[in-house]
Amino acid sequence: MESIALYNKAFLDIFMLAEKDLVTLKYHDVPEWDSVGHMMLITAIEEAFDIMFDTEDIIGFSSWAKGKLILAKYDVVL
Amino acid sequence: MRLLDGKNVFITGASKGIGWALAQAFAENGANIFAHSRSEDSQWQEALECLAKKNGVTIWPCYFDMTDYAAMKKALNSIKANNSSVDILINNAGVMTNALFQMTTDEMLRQQFEVNFFSIFMLTQYISRLMTKKNSGSIINISSVVAIEGSAGQSAYSAAKAAVIAFSKSIAAELGEKNIRVNCIAPGIIDTTLLHSLPVQRLEKTKNKTLLKRYGLPAEVASTAVFLASELAAYITGQVIRVDGGLK
Repeated sequence: MESIALYNKAFLDIFMLAEKDLVTLKYHDVPEWDSVGHMMLITAIEEAFDIMFDTEDIIGFSSWAKGKLILAKYDVVL
Repeated sequence: MRLLDGKNVFITGASKGIGWALAQAFAENGANIFAHSRSEDSQWQEALECLAKKNGVTIWPCYFDMTDYAAMKKALNSIKANNSSVDILINNAGVMTNALFQMTTDEMLRQQFEVNFFSIFMLTQYISRLMTKKNSGSIINISSVVAIEGSAGQSAYSAAKAAVIAFSKSIAAELGEKNIRVNCIAPGIIDTTLLHSLPVQRLEKTKNKTLLKRYGLPAEVASTAVFLASELAAYITGQVIRVDGGLK
């Protein structure tokens, strides 16, 4: 599976959204993306790309788009 | 009966005192061990190899300064890269400073919190994320009876150890639904080198305050940790277990 598909899958599986909703998606936009959902998302992305986020990046991961930028720091190209 | 066959445990400060007793007890109970120490030590490494061979377990030594979070993360990434997991975390590493409250410098206070609390906070943050993926885990934090009772000359140490208790209770509440249990052990006067840094007169006085009239052994703390890590303690979380011979 391509990296971007893996990335999207984490959001789709956890927040039960349609792919078209992802590009503009931000933290708290949907009830499922609360603090608990956030940690589930982080865990799923860490697992998918075999990385471990710094705490600052977990906090900074405030949207689908921001997440892509953060992943670049971990050499994950989407 | 081996209580922890096939489990992986991460023990900080495993080279001496209670930490070494923990390594021995967990190996004897069948657990594989990530044995942490601050700096490389060939004698200790040989002792670990003997311990592993004797008990048919795997022991991986790992070295980093608890206050060096980059090194800490690097060590944890290598665990992850090897597809290993951590089922049990024991936050044991610590330092003790003895000084009257009014003679405790800002630097001493910060060092106590840096090693005895902040580093535990950060390591637990990383390792609990590995546990979350498995929906199970046991975290055991070694606090101290002085965190509950207070102790003259140990205001910084006791405050940092009290922070460990409050932290443990809070994360027990956060991680419970992930089936991760968090408990504290509060040792009393345990016969380690750390103990012998205290004045003799004071030690004798404190020993006589225990119902058992003796110092505790590192192995007695370790056996409590084995119990808490095992399925025997499956319904125990958010607790502080005193191992203090009935200190009054």
